[in-house]
Amino acid sequence: MIWEYDFRPEVIIITMMRLNPFRRLRPFRGLEYLLAVLVTAFFTLLFLPIRSPSGQDHTILSQLYLLPVVISSVLWGLGPGAFVAVLSFLALNYFFVPPYYTLLVHQTQDLLVLIVFLGVSITIGQLVGRVSKSLAESQAREREAVHLYELTMHLSGLQDEHDIISALAEQTLIALRARRVDVLLEAHGEMSAQHVRMEDRSRPDRKQDETPTFINPLQSGGGFMGEIQIWREEVPLGRAEERLVSTFTSQGVTALERLRLSQTVSKARLLEESDRFKSSLLSSVSHELRTPLATIKAAVTSLRSETIAWDSEARIELLAAVEEEADHLNLLVGNLLNMSRIEAGALKPERSWNSLADIVTGAIERMRQQIEKHKLEVDVSADLPLVPVDYFQIEQVLINLISNSSKYSPEGTTIGIRATVADGDMLQLTVRNQGPHVAEENLERIFDKFFRVTAADKVTGAGLGLSICKGIIEAHGGRIWAENLADGFAFQFTLPLSVEGFTLVESQEIADE
Amino acid sequence: MSTQPHILVIDDEAQILRALRTILTAKGFRVSVASQGEEGLTIAAAQPPDLVILDLSLPDMDGVEVCARLREWTKIPIIILSVRESEHDKVIALDKGADDYLTKPFGIEELLARIRVALRHSAQTLGSQKIQIITAGPVTIDLALHQVTRNGEEIRLTATEFKLLAYLAANAGRVLTNQSILSHVWDPAEADRVEYLRVYIRQLRKKLEEDPDHPCIIRNEPGIGYRFMAED
Repeated sequence: MIWEYDFRPEVIIITMMRLNPFRRLRPFRGLEYLLAVLVTAFFTLLFLPIRSPSGQDHTILSQLYLLPVVISSVLWGLGPGAFVAVLSFLALNYFFVPPYYTLLVHQTQDLLVLIVFLGVSITIGQLVGRVSKSLAESQAREREAVHLYELTMHLSGLQDEHDIISALAEQTLIALRARRVDVLLEAHGEMSAQHVRMEDRSRPDRKQDETPTFINPLQSGGGFMGEIQIWREEVPLGRAEERLVSTFTSQGVTALERLRLSQTVSKARLLEESDRFKSSLLSSVSHELRTPLATIKAAVTSLRSETIAWDSEARIELLAAVEEEADHLNLLVGNLLNMSRIEAGALKPERSWNSLADIVTGAIERMRQQIEKHKLEVDVSADLPLVPVDYFQIEQVLINLISNSSKYSPEGTTIGIRATVADGDMLQLTVRNQGPHVAEENLERIFDKFFRVTAADKVTGAGLGLSICKGIIEAHGGRIWAENLADGFAFQFTLPLSVEGFTLVESQEIADE
Repeated sequence: MSTQPHILVIDDEAQILRALRTILTAKGFRVSVASQGEEGLTIAAAQPPDLVILDLSLPDMDGVEVCARLREWTKIPIIILSVRESEHDKVIALDKGADDYLTKPFGIEELLARIRVALRHSAQTLGSQKIQIITAGPVTIDLALHQVTRNGEEIRLTATEFKLLAYLAANAGRVLTNQSILSHVWDPAEADRVEYLRVYIRQLRKKLEEDPDHPCIIRNEPGIGYRFMAED
């Protein structure tokens, strides 16, 4: 089969070409009777030479004449069989029962032979015909069962309405050997919201846009869903075929209903999950927002208080706290925004070729105050290849990792940032600290939303930072993980050096004069 | 006429207006404020300011549009205020003629530095005299002689490197978008080839900076472009 796709708005035409056209022409009924006459004539001609002049051999010939009767019954069924029986009776009488070339019968026993022949031949013809008819019927039923099985196989596991109605149209076209099958789906009271058309172009295209030969509605428990239209001009649909169409459509309807039901269920589950996410976010964030606000409020009100005379050192200290907490709030808002984007599936990196060294420098600049009390070791060369990343998203990742490292490792210890080329097509970045180990079973879970290793009141944070890192790094096609080191703890992530198969070749860039 | 520079602040947040009016007045500027775009444009037309501080999100019209409308008749410096998440608008505003930007929340020292640079730059463009020699740390650039020295020693630059450095240095203190650098130094058709720029900036830094990994002369403006830091 060769498939051709022709996309039009909401109508997809799929044309089926048969390389090996299998057609069973069911021509007009008269042909079978004509053939029956020919068969009788043929055998008569065959028997004529063995006719003895005495004319006493017609009892044998009457048995031989059963041959065309049986053949016709097998080939063309009951009617032609009976017809040949009568013809054979007449031919036997005319050519072989004396007097020849007349239908007259002189002897009583000849008449008896003829009558017995007629009775026997009709009976045999009917028996044989009935057997072959029931054979044909059971073959048709088997075909029906096979088609139904094929349809069920095709429908099972389909996760798209369009795929389902395409499968239905295709299988109907094959099963009925129709010229064209259309399936229309109704949505929001509008017919043909989805429309699939399958055509067998190997069949003669008679007239365009004429009315279908047969229409069957797609009727579900919930009401009218659409309809299937069948074009087959050569032979009208038999009752068995109409039954097959209605079985097919009910299978299609079942598949559609199953799909719609599962979509509703998953939508409900998604809503429920997002609801749960929002309420945990809200409870986590409101706590997280109030802590810095409390500090700011306390510092500012005490500075404004006229009852306390602040010395300049205390004033500087209080103001530093205000600035620090304001930065903290700003960071938190950035994380919240990213989190909501990740949750909404709207986190799309705006990639451009960036130097990782620039991003690291920028992130450290923004974190300067928070890591004042730690030693910093940076080994990120400006000569590393450029990476196709979203500057601000990767900066956010670094800020979150550095912030996490500074929160969980003791003051005075070292935070190290190092970048290397890994496997030739990745940059690998490590942020390590001398903080405590994390239990092996939690190494992956620390990237989950709201997961906290220590009790919430010991360290500030909403438990969002690392899950945002994971979301961002994965959106960039990289991987992030954590590991315990001999003398501390490290976060690692990779970033691909190519985007959509495009890699920057250094020798090409520096095409200077 | 007062000799104090006149600054117009257009922002819809009353708290920001209050804070900026207080701080800038204390620093010796004459300050007008507007909380809407149209209002700001009216004030600017009635009493032409020496500098405009413009928030990009205004209730009545887009800050980018205010920027474009101001540029129809005046070259006064415009400093944009915006939040970190709207890099795209910032770049558009800068390409539409804004001179500089600040990301909210910002420190006041940073704002004052930007105001100083912008006022000085506009004084230079208004005066016919163009500065030909620019110094930044140990580096001296003579635009007329096409000569660059570092601690007195001449640095050899390729033609493209010099063109890039000259463009950055001529706009010292101001932010330049990647697109504007690329279309000035290369060709407008190459305005999206950021990778060229990254590579040449890296080469320039290697030749000019004391520590190329922590650049002080050619500074990054994340998501926007670069800024050449000249001596004050």
